[in-house]
Amino acid sequence: MNCQEFWKTMPEFAAGVEQAGEHAHLADCPACKARLRSQRELSAGLRAVAAEFHKLEAPPRVETRLLAAFRTQSGVEPVRTRRRWIPVLTWAAAFAAMLSLGLFIVRDRQPEAARSTVQHGVERAAMEIPSELEGFIPLPNSGALPANEDMDVVRVEMPRSAMLAAGLEVSADRVGEMVEADVMLGSDGVARAVRFLDESLI
Amino acid sequence: MTPALVETDDELLIRIQSGDEDAFLDLYRRRQAPLFRFALHMSGSMPVAEDVTQEVFLAVLREGCGYDPDRGTLSGYLFGIARKLVLRHLERGRSDVVLDTDADDSALPQLAVIDDPMVDLTRREGIDALRRAVQALPRRYREVVVLCDLEEVDYVDAAVALGCPIGTVRSRLHRARGLLLEKLNQERNPRHAMALKPVRCE
Repeated sequence: MNCQEFWKTMPEFAAGVEQAGEHAHLADCPACKARLRSQRELSAGLRAVAAEFHKLEAPPRVETRLLAAFRTQSGVEPVRTRRRWIPVLTWAAAFAAMLSLGLFIVRDRQPEAARSTVQHGVERAAMEIPSELEGFIPLPNSGALPANEDMDVVRVEMPRSAMLAAGLEVSADRVGEMVEADVMLGSDGVARAVRFLDESLI
Repeated sequence: MTPALVETDDELLIRIQSGDEDAFLDLYRRRQAPLFRFALHMSGSMPVAEDVTQEVFLAVLREGCGYDPDRGTLSGYLFGIARKLVLRHLERGRSDVVLDTDADDSALPQLAVIDDPMVDLTRREGIDALRRAVQALPRRYREVVVLCDLEEVDYVDAAVALGCPIGTVRSRLHRARGLLLEKLNQERNPRHAMALKPVRCE
């Protein structure tokens, strides 16, 4: 067998150079032996390079972005806000929200109320509100609004004085009036944010 | 015990097209790493590899993404998209972060046994040298080495990805390996650069 015939009989590179073994032709042909040896080295080297990179993969943020794109395309919104009236459960939740707001108002009607308004303003500025929730004021005890939390929005009436606690101005002669507000409730029934539906704010 | 049936890529794609998020995640997690590495080897840039991986799967989300099962596997098709995106990046000259393959060549260790310049490519320095050699290959040879040797894509899928006949894949791979051997031989032992050039036998 000559060299050309030898290389024609060789199977594919990676497996072939390993399987060639001690072919009879190699014993008589130092050139082919050297060539085969170098190909073996190269084959092993490429496998080593592949192994070195084997665990490398796209960073997790790519999956997050693609998932968001998939959901957008499928029509699944990441944040679902529903405005609806569900008499029993919602009123129970609204009551919890009112209670929470009431406690908040009582606590903040201490002598240093003027200073706390400024602090709340700073807190609000630091919180992130999704664009679709525009107009909602996060409650100070709720933290940042979670991006994927299932929210319920309920409309309630509450004393206008509650607006004070949220850092809004209320004239003294109207403090006793009632005002409509949308209260955003988290899945745990706790109020996360409030939006006052007052003509003076529009 | 009967092994759990693994869905094929094509089955996952059908589910994806009907809005199945889990199927999309399954396909992404199955295929992202090889695509990311291919883009990284081709571009030498992590940000480019990340962009390309993301764009490949965004293409899958688009209606009528162009995949035809009669022309090859989904894997080959995805590599084909990745290749086109990488080439677009390379043409724009946007591969801004290069892998640390441009280290000072003078720092490469000199082999003690100059008669055997190909010895042990699996050693650390050998792997680095080989990686640099792959990066330095002309694009048409680099892509076939990355696909077939580093990512172990079969010739059929490689032909789909590269948009050429299988015979062309084979011949380019043969030429690419020859170039790698020459490059490594020159780099490691300039004085004996010609010693292990592929021998044309009579």
